[in-house]
Amino acid sequence: MKSQPTKIENRIRLAGILLIAGLLVELVTLRWSHPTAFLFFLLLGGALMALGIVIYLFSLISAESKPSPE
Amino acid sequence: MTGNTTILVAVILFSIVLIGWLVLRPSITATRGGKMLAFVALLIFPVLAGGMGVSIQLEHSKTTTFCLSCHVMEDYGKSLRVDDRSFVPATHFQYNLVPRDQACFTCHTDYTMFGDVNAKLRGLKHVYAYYVGTPSQPIKLYQPYNNRECLHCHLGARGFEESEAHTKDPEAMSRMKLNQLSCSTSECHNIVHNVQQLKEATFWKEQAK
Repeated sequence: MKSQPTKIENRIRLAGILLIAGLLVELVTLRWSHPTAFLFFLLLGGALMALGIVIYLFSLISAESKPSPE
Repeated sequence: MTGNTTILVAVILFSIVLIGWLVLRPSITATRGGKMLAFVALLIFPVLAGGMGVSIQLEHSKTTTFCLSCHVMEDYGKSLRVDDRSFVPATHFQYNLVPRDQACFTCHTDYTMFGDVNAKLRGLKHVYAYYVGTPSQPIKLYQPYNNRECLHCHLGARGFEESEAHTKDPEAMSRMKLNQLSCSTSECHNIVHNVQQLKEATFWKEQAK
């Protein structure tokens, strides 16, 4: 039987998805030579990655590791 | 693709693979090894990729192609190829007095401690004006061109220090160095981009190497 993911696992998954999205934005903007790409990189890519890192760090300090209710 | 960009792409792809693994199997973080992997994949690599990305993007934003990629800058790009030595930017560009791949940035950055940062902030202002506001036509500088930017290269050069025009008036040199006598608006080197004159201009055709 497959066990329910814990809150930490859910947060790590969310952080991972945000980081992958941010990294993909960074990858695309690297190949696009335009000031808009610079803005996308900073505002969209940077925000996604920063949020992903914050969620990951938050998962580290939250000791909760019981299965989530859902 | 430069060497640094290749390394960054490799870091990004490697990070995506590691993070993807964690996303698919978050339960591995329950083990000691999994925790270390998560730390590296979710913190170390993204911070590394982000830092390298900022550095590469900033470096890239100094290039002439980057500056000229906006439609409003097209005429300014053309003005670099005017076949007339009285056009100051054209002469600098064609005679390699500035690096051609960073021609705009070389003259339009501030040679001060935070000059590059200021130049990039002004660039963000340009992007805002491009998308949200209306860029002034013709484009104007935010403040008068400072001699400091010219003197960054010309100060101490024989052509500058011993030029008859510069030494004729004994006070002129010190006033130029103090930015009290403008190089570009004191009727001496006042033909800069002059995009209004491009229709009548002839253009330099670079010989194929």
